[in-house]
Amino acid sequence: MSALTKKEVELALADRFGAIFERHERRPLEVLPTGVREIDELLFGLPRGAITELHGPASSGRTSVMLSALANATAQEEICAIVDCDDTFDLASAAHAGVDFRRTLWVRCGRSLERAFKAVDLILHAGGFGFIALNLCNVPAKVVHRVISSWWFRFRRAIEGTPTTLVVLTPVAAVRSCAALILELKNESSVWPSTLSLVSENSNGGFTSPDTTARYLSLVPLTAVAKEHPAQPHAHFLQAMKIVVNRQRPVELRPGKVKFNPQLRVR
Amino acid sequence: MFACIYSRTVPKSQQKLEDHDAKAASPLVDLAFTFSPLVEQTSPDTVVLDVSGQDLLFGPPAEDGSSAEVECGRNIATDIIRQGKTLGLKVNVAIAANVDVAIHAARFIKGITVIPPGDELLITRDFSIKHIDYSLVAMDEKRAAEIQETFALWGIRTFGDLARLPLAGVAERLGQDGVRLQKLAQAKSDRQLHLVRPPIGFAQSLELEHAISEVEPLTFILSRLLNQLCANLNEYALATNELKLTLKLHDKTEHERAINLPVPMRNPKTLLRLLLFDIEREPPQAPIIAVAITAEPIKPRSSQTGLFIPLAPEPERLEITLARLAKLVGVQNVGSPELLDTHRPDSFRMQRFTVLVSRKKPHSNPQSAIRNTPCVMGFRIFRPPWRAEVCTREGKPTRIDAPSGDTRVRVRGQIVCASGPWRGSGDWWRRDVWARDEWDVAVVDPKSEEGEVLCRIYRDVTTEEWFVAGVYD
Repeated sequence: MSALTKKEVELALADRFGAIFERHERRPLEVLPTGVREIDELLFGLPRGAITELHGPASSGRTSVMLSALANATAQEEICAIVDCDDTFDLASAAHAGVDFRRTLWVRCGRSLERAFKAVDLILHAGGFGFIALNLCNVPAKVVHRVISSWWFRFRRAIEGTPTTLVVLTPVAAVRSCAALILELKNESSVWPSTLSLVSENSNGGFTSPDTTARYLSLVPLTAVAKEHPAQPHAHFLQAMKIVVNRQRPVELRPGKVKFNPQLRVR
Repeated sequence: MFACIYSRTVPKSQQKLEDHDAKAASPLVDLAFTFSPLVEQTSPDTVVLDVSGQDLLFGPPAEDGSSAEVECGRNIATDIIRQGKTLGLKVNVAIAANVDVAIHAARFIKGITVIPPGDELLITRDFSIKHIDYSLVAMDEKRAAEIQETFALWGIRTFGDLARLPLAGVAERLGQDGVRLQKLAQAKSDRQLHLVRPPIGFAQSLELEHAISEVEPLTFILSRLLNQLCANLNEYALATNELKLTLKLHDKTEHERAINLPVPMRNPKTLLRLLLFDIEREPPQAPIIAVAITAEPIKPRSSQTGLFIPLAPEPERLEITLARLAKLVGVQNVGSPELLDTHRPDSFRMQRFTVLVSRKKPHSNPQSAIRNTPCVMGFRIFRPPWRAEVCTREGKPTRIDAPSGDTRVRVRGQIVCASGPWRGSGDWWRRDVWARDEWDVAVVDPKSEEGEVLCRIYRDVTTEEWFVAGVYD
């Protein structure tokens, strides 16, 4: 049933049954804006009280989105935590993104997946954190796949009903049904830009996108001459980036469920 | 019954009573506290203590009421003088049912004086009126001088003379001050002791009969000491932000630990957990034979929360969480990072993580706090950098193969795009001088489906070796 049809049915029955449908509708979740305008326009932000998974290959923009959300969270005076499994959190780029380190707890786990998960568990149970990021970017995909699902269920249970946003950065999808929002980032072009696509949502309920036309977001540099040698070191990366909507690959969006074209995975 | 101890030798350092600590530190007060917790320091050379109810300790085995009381008082006074001698004090002791009579008797009569109840006037009637203590009736010196002059004019020379005057006449001529003085002379004054607080002790210690070498029995001992310590803090509405633990070990050494807390606390459970985490992280090297804990008292924190202030972790829980994290990953790996003011790449230090309390007004709408600054590309740095084999053509890198330290992942492939080099160097005056040529490269591995990987690589100028500094992500 399309969204329009459902709405028509509800309006037709409203005279006889009143606001019966509204009772069963979930309240919209609170969100933490990412600071990336295109993502916020589409999703309003990352859901609080739930797990968000950002997965994709290297150089696909996972860390960029996470840093932007972290910078926004610290700007809103939230207390944040970075659980860094492989000790790859770069302070210079984080400072450039606007992260306030005085509000950021950094836990370096020395390449131990077990310690990283235990650290997240401790921080979640301490309460009061607004944003927690678990960085598993450098962990090989086969190792991430072997993470037992009880950890994710435990995290989901601990975070429910709290204002905390837990973001998990992985090379491949691993959180599965425990994530309220999964963002897959793709590095599909032959040059610098990378692409971000909305793969799945609503597994935790209630998180829907109002815009049914925009599906893909591409992260491209603003400077057209990116490959030229700028005067300032690494300026073409550390300067402003822009996310633009790529409408070349439409998908079908239904309320509560996102379906993709055949060459992509279907959830 | 009250006992008054009058010291015939008072050191000059104890002459003033303004400082509470000086009061509490007086040897005369210490002497009094060994006999009773209810102690008043009337003047630098005089203390009064309530010795009621000590019959079982000092009284004779079986005697009738009044003589037993006198005998008990005499025993107490004897013991006080004996203890005073050990402290180097020469004291007079008077025991009486009336506080003020005991004070005057101790000042006038050398040695031990025990006044049975009802015989007060018999003892005090011959005391000179010149030595009556006007401060006992809260009279200032000017008024006391006026009244003393009046007594001289009237021919009043002793306590007995004043006691015999008609009450109405005294009240008519001297007012309420005169009435109170006459009651003092008649041994009819009735007042409570102004008690001296015992010295505040925020240190607890325990010597063990048997040395312990495990954490579990130590937990019970620490719990007991901390409970007492926190009860003391609670009694004085104080908290602590610094806890010092001293463990005397069997090998005659001491194991000292200090825990600094970002916020004042007095919850024994929280402090116990923090101490245990600390001990587990750095255990003593020998069995423990004595435990001592000292707390630095400060005012407790006062925080005003608000509906619109962003949520923050509760300080006590956060401290425990940080202690657990430090135990899990090491204390040097937990904290709040701080970039150092240097050009050396990846220079930072870890600081203790504390929750900042914001004083500014929060945004009424969280959406308004969203930054409008454009998104910047993130970077993931490799610590340590991955050693790489790089092929170059005309000085530009063309191909790279760089396995990570544990070879789980690697950067390998053709360099399709490169920007650089940017030369950076510094710290030439130090042994760890650094100099490098940095490149930003796009690497494509034909065997991989991942597409381009954007890396920052550099050539160490001193060793001519290539490294992958990190990946843009």
